Amino acid sequence: MAKPKIAVFKFSSCAGCQLSILNIEDHLLDVAGAVDIAYCVMAKRENREGPYDIGFVEGAVTSPKELLELKKIREECKVLVALGTCACFGGLPSIKNFAGPQREMEERVYTELWDLKSIPAHGIDYYVKVDAYLRGCAIDVGELVQLVKSALLGVNPHFRPHSVCNECKLKENVCLLVNKGKPCMGSVTAAGCDALCPSLGRPCEGCRGPANDANAASLARTFSVDLGLSRDDVRRKFLKYAGNTPEFKKGAEAV
Amino acid sequence: MPVEAFVLPKADLGGFVAKLKADCEVFGPVAKDTEFVFGPVAAAEDLRLDYDTTILPPKKYFHRPMETLFKFDGAVEITGEGEEVGKQVLFGVHPCDINALLSLDRVFLETYPDPYYRARRENTVIIGLNCIAPCENGFCSSFNTGPAMDKGFDLALTDIGDKYVVEVGSAQGKELAAGLAAASEADLIAKNQALRACQQKITRRIDVENPGELLHQNVEHPKWEELKEECLACGTCTTVCPTCFCFGVKDYVDLSLKAGERPRTWDSCMFYEFSRVAMDHVFRPDRAARIKQRIFHKLTYFNQQFEAPGCVGCGRCVSTCVKSIDPVEIVNAIQANPNPPREVKLYTPPAKKVTPETSPWVPQKAVIKAIKQQTKDTTTYTFAFADPKVQEAYTYDPGVFNEISIFGIGEAPISISSCADVKDSFDHTIRAVGNVTNALAKLQVGDIVGIRGPYGVGWPVEEMKGKNVLLVAGGIGLAPLRPVIKYIQARRDQYGDFEILYGARTPNDMLFTDEFDEWRKIPNTRLYLTVDIVPPGVEWGHNIGVVTTLFDKMASRPENTIMVTCGPEIMMKFVVRGLLARGFSPEQIYVSLERRMSCGIKKCGNCQIGPVFVCQDGPVFKYADIKDLPEEIF
Ligand SMILES: Cc1cc2nc3c(=O)[nH]c(=O)nc-3n(C[C@H](O)[C@H](O)[C@H](O)COP(=O)(O)OP(=O)(O)OC[C@H]3O[C@@H](n4cnc5c(N)ncnc54)[C@H](O)[C@@H]3O)c2cc1C
Ligand code: SF4
Ligand code: SF4
Ligand code: SF4
Ligand code: SF4
Ligand code: FES
Repeated sequence: MAKPKIAVFKFSSCAGCQLSILNIEDHLLDVAGAVDIAYCVMAKRENREGPYDIGFVEGAVTSPKELLELKKIREECKVLVALGTCACFGGLPSIKNFAGPQREMEERVYTELWDLKSIPAHGIDYYVKVDAYLRGCAIDVGELVQLVKSALLGVNPHFRPHSVCNECKLKENVCLLVNKGKPCMGSVTAAGCDALCPSLGRPCEGCRGPANDANAASLARTFSVDLGLSRDDVRRKFLKYAGNTPEFKKGAEAV
Repeated sequence: MPVEAFVLPKADLGGFVAKLKADCEVFGPVAKDTEFVFGPVAAAEDLRLDYDTTILPPKKYFHRPMETLFKFDGAVEITGEGEEVGKQVLFGVHPCDINALLSLDRVFLETYPDPYYRARRENTVIIGLNCIAPCENGFCSSFNTGPAMDKGFDLALTDIGDKYVVEVGSAQGKELAAGLAAASEADLIAKNQALRACQQKITRRIDVENPGELLHQNVEHPKWEELKEECLACGTCTTVCPTCFCFGVKDYVDLSLKAGERPRTWDSCMFYEFSRVAMDHVFRPDRAARIKQRIFHKLTYFNQQFEAPGCVGCGRCVSTCVKSIDPVEIVNAIQANPNPPREVKLYTPPAKKVTPETSPWVPQKAVIKAIKQQTKDTTTYTFAFADPKVQEAYTYDPGVFNEISIFGIGEAPISISSCADVKDSFDHTIRAVGNVTNALAKLQVGDIVGIRGPYGVGWPVEEMKGKNVLLVAGGIGLAPLRPVIKYIQARRDQYGDFEILYGARTPNDMLFTDEFDEWRKIPNTRLYLTVDIVPPGVEWGHNIGVVTTLFDKMASRPENTIMVTCGPEIMMKFVVRGLLARGFSPEQIYVSLERRMSCGIKKCGNCQIGPVFVCQDGPVFKYADIKDLPEEIF
């Protein structure tokens, strides 16, 4: 079997997810043995043209230029993976979608406005078909390795987008919400991070986007009524990473 | 016989624990931040016997959150078992959690005993601790599962001030109590007083004579819709529950992509994808239905299934729920505003219990002897077990299933499509729809897979004797019914008229087409075929329309007839409706159901429909037995 050709592309993002790929050195050696990284501007100087077997796209699409590139990438990649929350849901760049009229915001941020062609930030599946999603800001390296293995075996990894609370309780963490009154979003956020933040005493920020059948509106009511968060704070919580998703949008609009 | 009782002065606790630690690991309640957990006890000072409750119950030492069933290398070679189990002591287990273990024993030790759970149970000494103060959310007295224990312990401690009364519950417990002074009459009185005082202080209670009946009468109730709006579907309530047993099974490979392990991991019926099967079909997508599943399972189904409490009132699900969703409050709310009482019949499972000598998790190697393409995506494989002795001993009823494994990919339940009259091989007819079935589609004659089974209850071929038989199949649903045809063919004189109604989407989707002529030749047997659509260019000389359109052509009448059906659930729904309209009774109708299955042996809980385990109570059911389940089928 020829080694599958892999490509990694970047749109509007912080490059943190790509960095996670580079950080899995010990795994990378083995994975790189099994795969041929043909295109990854961040990791190597000589990059080869497509087609590719698996393409990883990091970042949200925020400009017409990126959109054209994305369409070309889709055609070049047999399997297309959204790498990280920006590519999955819009991520942090999508905060701008909810921050008021676009021109006003652009005027606050940039001085040279004449060449600015910005469109609302969306995950890549807003525009093209996506075959697999690696959620998280940043992605979970274990999931990445599992996805690559599954792709090599030709099977669906069947990730389980149930709540972070599940992983949190398995670690027997004292609940930040119930016992400490902190606005933890773990109950409506998809697991897969091994409850990283709550295990370090920090409330879940919802970076992996909505869990299956997430009931964000109910959690928003708890934040507002029981924890006394202001309406704006509740909105900000649900719009931070995945405000584009109908699930979290409901949370943002619930109070 | 009075229980033997001793006393352990609190000052001597350190020495007592140290003695235990000499030859076992000791676990008990220890502090974690503001809460408590069961954890390793280095010395008696770590033990917090004043704890109220723990985040996870001590269940985690028996039914581990993740347990390796075996390790493998390659598609069929097993290279190792799960973790070795050492001797351990659980110190300070409350009565609710001990009763929960007794309930779990029913799940894991009765039919197809689980070797891992059993080894851990056998290697664990349980030193219980009666409750002298109620915990915040507990309601154990509703089920007599606390605040005092009467069984399930080796030793039971009760705090009476400066010492513990130590009751003996087993021979092993008696040995451990050696050297302790006998309890005096006054000590025992103090103990009883402490427990009675606690009992009186417990205010939370489910006060219904028959919670099962109440819930069955209130399957539809505004409370469920209210809960649907509140519940976050986070699954925490089941994760922390001491009697929840559900798990999923998934293979993990290392970077060789060949070697790896097959663990089981706790799962939850509160999760949307808990009931998901291939092609992304989800049986319980509605959150209200999932909440009902949990509450009903805890308060009635578990009792029906295992004759043991499904809720022991530990209160954990209440304490940990972000929305404070509370079984006591739910029952009270329903009680306060119930539907008018009506008579309800609670399902009772068949009494069948199987206790094989070998590990129920380990498949046997089976060789592919022949492969026959049936349609574009469906193939019949003829298997024989690699070990001739296993093959010789292998027999099964028509309609039951096997679990087929390819290590590294996974396992799938598949009906046996042959009849056990054939001795040296057996067939499976498999549609390629996902991981395991696609991997099977790539195999060739001579390749080896893992198979365990047979599992379940099949078609009522005995009851059918002397009666007319009507067989209605749709699509792949003919596979589990083919054994019935073969069975009747071989015993033709024992059955009356026989009619086969078979429908598929198109003529090209029909299975076993090359056997149709042979079936038509069975005396007194008629085969009717139908398809939904005939694509251009395809020849078709039979009926067009859904399978129920054949009812007008068939000769079958309700008198002295048994009807068996398998196919897509929507098809079976219309078949059953059509036949009921034609005067068939639910007693005459048998259906085969599909659900997600991760074990086949009544352990993983995935296949439950209300109180029913499809894998062991079915997959074939008499329609009369299941038509009124609280969780509607069709
Ligand atoms: C009693 C019984 C008899 C059957 N008989 C036959 C038969 O004779 N012939 C036949 O072709 N089929 C039969 N089936 C159906 C067959 O079992 C399924 O088609 C098979 O399990 C598909 O497995 P797969 O690995 O190929 O599919 P996949 O879709 O890869 O896996 C299916 C399983 O994976 C899990 N899963 C799927 N999606 C997800 C997800 N997103 N997240 C987590 N887990 C997921 C679920 O547990 C699901 O059951 C039968 C089923 C039952 C219950
Ligand atoms: S800390 Fe957060 S993630 Fe953990 S159980 Fe509580 S709400 Fe869930
Ligand atoms: S813990 Fe509460 S919110 Fe979470 S699934 Fe259970 S009942 Fe629903
Ligand atoms: S249902 Fe709740 S109270 Fe009952 S045993 Fe489970 S966790 Fe405890
Ligand atoms: S089905 Fe029952 S045992 Fe399984 S997770 Fe749900 S409540 Fe727990
Ligand atoms: S309980 Fe596991 S399949 Fe039925």
